Amino acid sequence: MALSPELTFLPDEPRWRWLRGTFRLLPIAIFLLIWQVVVDLDLVDRSFLPSVSDTFAALWQLTRDGEIGLNLWVSMYRALGGLLIGSVLGVAIGLAMATSERANEFFGPLVATTYSLPKASLVPLFILWFGIGDTTDMLTVVLACLLPVIVSTYHGVKAVPPVILWSARAMGTPRHLVLWRILFPGALPSILTGVRIALGFCFVLTISAEMIAAKSGIGKLIFIYGENGAYVHMFGGLLAVILAAFVADRALLAVMSYLLRWDDAYHAASAHG
Amino acid sequence: MDEGNGIARRVGAVVKAAAIHSYSLILLFLVWEGASRLGLARPLFLPSVTDVVRQFGALLASGDVLAPLVLSLYRAFAGLALAVVVGMIAGLVMARSKWAHWALDPLVSLAFPAPKIAFVPIFILWFGIDSLSKILLVAFTCVLPMLVATYHGAIGVSRTIIWSAEAMGTPERTLLYRVILPASLPYVFSGIRVTTPVALITAFTAEMIAGGGGVGAALMFAQRFFQTPTVFVYILVMLITGFAFDHLMVRLRDRLIPWQDETERP
Repeated sequence: MALSPELTFLPDEPRWRWLRGTFRLLPIAIFLLIWQVVVDLDLVDRSFLPSVSDTFAALWQLTRDGEIGLNLWVSMYRALGGLLIGSVLGVAIGLAMATSERANEFFGPLVATTYSLPKASLVPLFILWFGIGDTTDMLTVVLACLLPVIVSTYHGVKAVPPVILWSARAMGTPRHLVLWRILFPGALPSILTGVRIALGFCFVLTISAEMIAAKSGIGKLIFIYGENGAYVHMFGGLLAVILAAFVADRALLAVMSYLLRWDDAYHAASAHG
Repeated sequence: MDEGNGIARRVGAVVKAAAIHSYSLILLFLVWEGASRLGLARPLFLPSVTDVVRQFGALLASGDVLAPLVLSLYRAFAGLALAVVVGMIAGLVMARSKWAHWALDPLVSLAFPAPKIAFVPIFILWFGIDSLSKILLVAFTCVLPMLVATYHGAIGVSRTIIWSAEAMGTPERTLLYRVILPASLPYVFSGIRVTTPVALITAFTAEMIAGGGGVGAALMFAQRFFQTPTVFVYILVMLITGFAFDHLMVRLRDRLIPWQDETERP
């Protein structure tokens, strides 16, 4: 069914790849152009929507001043650090739950009841306990990233075909090797899907926590610019967030495709969109 | 075997199952209560469970739970409804038209991973501090997952079905209404199920950041005045709300699309 029109009249040669790519990204250029023209023709109030050129100029100026760099670095540290801790813990708990009935009975109800809690609601509590800063923000991110990784690890392990497990046991594979060599790789596609969901969460939670209360970070920066009426800079900061989140997502997809290079099902699925 | 004995045994089994299935939760509450009773943490930081429950009752009686909750739910579901309508239309159009796919695909890919909550200051600037900015932020957050879900449902419709309809001379509009839309409904519904907690979380978080009433704003207000039991009450309100709606969505799905087998569900 409907996929994008391709430049089929071009010969299928590598040297025309860039033109095909440009054509695919053309809508973004058109979108930016319409935005620029609408503002330049004064169809909207400039203080409500700065033009594209002004926004990029603000982004460039903030980058040169080091304002974006410093705050983005702080936010990335919180987001990705929290994601890393949350993922490692999540995989460990998920593996335990899938392989041990007792672990499942212990963690299951906790996961089920806290899954639908907005983790940002814990920020005020954590501020009370740990003060404003990295501990509060990272703990929130860890909790938010933990649950999707636990659930996807659990389902991934449960979906490993039992035949493979039986063969491994029949050949006398010790328990820890079954875990490490069979269950973990078998669950990896599912685990990484969970990590990708958690990647989205980690940015949302970092920025929420920073906007609720923080001394630094890109979320705080955008919020302060908004409160002080520096709207061009607010849009510049937001642009930086969108680009950073996009690059992080693409980087994770590249890592996934490398780690799952043996998995035909993953590549078949990703080829179809 | 007399009837009473059987019922008693069944009740006993249910209680036993419930105890096994939630002993970690009970343990958590016991540790929490014990820690605050033994004075391990000051009540300002960790009020006892009984204090929180008492405060919950007081706030329920005074209407301070229900009024903000209704406001938050209104924002979340108005935004979600908008996202479902717009997302379904855009998803169907993207699945049926090559040029719409070409125009929307790169924009959706770029916007999908962006943390929408970062738009709060901009939505305040554009739509004010009241409900409208929150409803639109919820809609903005939920519209992309709805679009993607509908799109996948619509392109997943079997070609033979579409060909048969077209061979019988079905016009494109009827094809959309009578064939593609019903066939993609399970995907749409699973999209709604995924975005319902997102809508609630976005509404609560936006209220925490921007104020303007609702459970999120009430929570921040309580924290500012160090009313820790009230903070816990509102956290519990958010937890119960999310839990309740998640279960409601599962029930609704089984009621509305019973022809979908568990295995077939996306």
